[in-house]
Amino acid sequence: MQWYTMGVDLGSTTAKAVIVDAAGEIVASRVVQMGAVSRQAVGVAIESVLEDACLSSEDIARTISTGYGRRLVPGADKTFTEITCHARGAAALSPGVRLVIDIGGQDSKAIAVDDDGLVDRFALNDRCASGTGRFFDVLCRALEVDLDEVVDLALAGTENLEVSSMCATFAETEVISLLAQGSAPADISASVHRSVAARTLGLVAQVGKAIPAVMTGGVAQNKALVTFLSDALGQDLVILDTPQIAGALGAALIARDEYQGQLGLTVQDIETDRQLVAQRSGGLRDCTGCDGHLGDGHAHDHDGGSRRPVPVILQTDALSAAGPSPR
Amino acid sequence: MNTLDPTTFAPLERAAQDPVAYATEWKERTGGLVIGSFPMNFPSELVHATGALPVIVQESRTTITEGRSLLPEFYCSYTRSLADQAATGELEVFDAFVLVDHCVQLLGAADVIQRVIPDKPLHFTQFISSMDDAWSRGAVEEKVQAMRAEVEESTGVTVTDESLTASIRVFNENRRLLREFFDLRRTGRLHIPASALQVLVKSSMVMDITEHTALLQQLLDRLDTLSSAPEHLVRLHLSGHFCAPPRPELLNLLEECDVVIVNDDLYHGSRYISTDVPKDGDPFAALASWYLDRNVNVPCATRVQLDVDWQSYLVDTLADSGAEGVVTLQAKFCEPLMLYYPELRRTLGERDIPELLIETEHEGLAAESIRTTIETFVERIRRQRSKQLLPA
Repeated sequence: MQWYTMGVDLGSTTAKAVIVDAAGEIVASRVVQMGAVSRQAVGVAIESVLEDACLSSEDIARTISTGYGRRLVPGADKTFTEITCHARGAAALSPGVRLVIDIGGQDSKAIAVDDDGLVDRFALNDRCASGTGRFFDVLCRALEVDLDEVVDLALAGTENLEVSSMCATFAETEVISLLAQGSAPADISASVHRSVAARTLGLVAQVGKAIPAVMTGGVAQNKALVTFLSDALGQDLVILDTPQIAGALGAALIARDEYQGQLGLTVQDIETDRQLVAQRSGGLRDCTGCDGHLGDGHAHDHDGGSRRPVPVILQTDALSAAGPSPR
Repeated sequence: MNTLDPTTFAPLERAAQDPVAYATEWKERTGGLVIGSFPMNFPSELVHATGALPVIVQESRTTITEGRSLLPEFYCSYTRSLADQAATGELEVFDAFVLVDHCVQLLGAADVIQRVIPDKPLHFTQFISSMDDAWSRGAVEEKVQAMRAEVEESTGVTVTDESLTASIRVFNENRRLLREFFDLRRTGRLHIPASALQVLVKSSMVMDITEHTALLQQLLDRLDTLSSAPEHLVRLHLSGHFCAPPRPELLNLLEECDVVIVNDDLYHGSRYISTDVPKDGDPFAALASWYLDRNVNVPCATRVQLDVDWQSYLVDTLADSGAEGVVTLQAKFCEPLMLYYPELRRTLGERDIPELLIETEHEGLAAESIRTTIETFVERIRRQRSKQLLPA
């Protein structure tokens, strides 16, 4: 009998819902914009994703909610934090990931991911909104442009102006002050992006740099920030096609794992374990001993010198002990 | 979860929540002097032996207002609160102040208190922080005598061997009873909120010790059938937080995340009650022994001792309590803890013991962010549990 699980991520500015099947494949996903944490938006996201998947709520075996509004999601069987879910979702979307940088509307997180694609260490931004999606809203308002224009401006900026990265409110004042002094909007936008990248680097330093690194959350769609952050980190960032759904996908996959456990289908035998690992790792190569830093004779020149991030093969202890697959 | 008898618990909770109100009422009732001491090593027995009420001055929950201009923002919340209490008249009930600890921020607060309320005597005698030098014991004994003279001057009462021995006896008994609660919790036979245990310790710091001991004994006598915490809860050790207690709301928040606190090394916890004063021999020398022994029983980042370190103690005590992880609570700008924390973190990391740092402030609690942090930490520990269940 076919069964499905759902993950719902209720964040500060968007509600996301993902349905996966018993094999962990995405059946449907939805992102719904809203003003603030909103029960109405999460209802719309759930109804829409069910409609897209041609399913009804009765077809969903288990639902897990995540995000700041996780306890507001109707019908959820359990909650997990967005940190756990983003790690799991990013590991599924980008097998072998070791570092997840999640920047959402109100917060930012750096998550070190272990061999099993699950959270090892993590760091959250302080209560301040600097370095989050809200920070870019403030920039748009001060420059009187929309988000797409602010990104284009940042990519065109050449001069590095000094902008505080400590407080979104003060940064707005600084931007207005820089405009009054005649600084070019492109330079201002670039400088603000650069300061956010520096702040994010500080967050990453708390958990340690690692490759491959993936960006999730809505701000991952900001090409200028990705560029500046890659420069700041000294490494490439893997950009997902759908970075916003990573948390909801992680929740759906955890729901799937749990439902498998209820059915007695959990990882009880080594062959199932192998299948799960193969699914996560995608059979990619290990960058042995790498701590994520380039230079000193260490270049990420696998795959023909492309300098692309090198994923690692994920293995469970049980799998290692069992030896190579007979197939 | 166990229930502490509410009638007996209520006066303890009142005293813990408002120590100044308790001291004011005690003063009116007895006509005695109230002597305030500052954490973490002043021997309250010395004041008690004069008949005065020894009170460890607590961080006030009121918003820091006038005190903001008296100490910089980068002082810890406890010392900024002390400055504010001095400025706003909250320290009026105290007749004198004593301290033996050398924290720079605490000394800054003491300076502010002296300047703002100069009519209140304030005596500082520094206990040596190097604990195992050949001269350490002699130096502490000398300072105990110096502090004795200061206390006698402030109270007008001579501390005799007999009066100090009697005070040592009642404080030892109080600590023994408090340790019963902590021992029961560590062995899993007592399950009460961490904030309730904090009330027991904090109230012992501010109440008449004989009255407090009687209430503790009543609580123990009336304790309902001992019950253990549910197996699904994650067992954690709380570490850090010197001088001032973590907010009860934070402790409650931790426990709301499927956590049971099984042990701690907090000042308003195991650290305070860890050590008794030797009951035999010269009672003044015994106070020096108590001071030196405390750092062995629960090591402190503010003290130096070659064969003692906090991280080794922590690893050993985790094995004893069965705690699955450590939450370090660090008051923002607490320099001793800030300097020591990297060592703690490194040691726990080397042993793959999950550890989480939470920084606390006087002003507010970022509850939702902290909840997310704790829940993630708990999820990680649960995953470790399930990994261990995987077939090898």
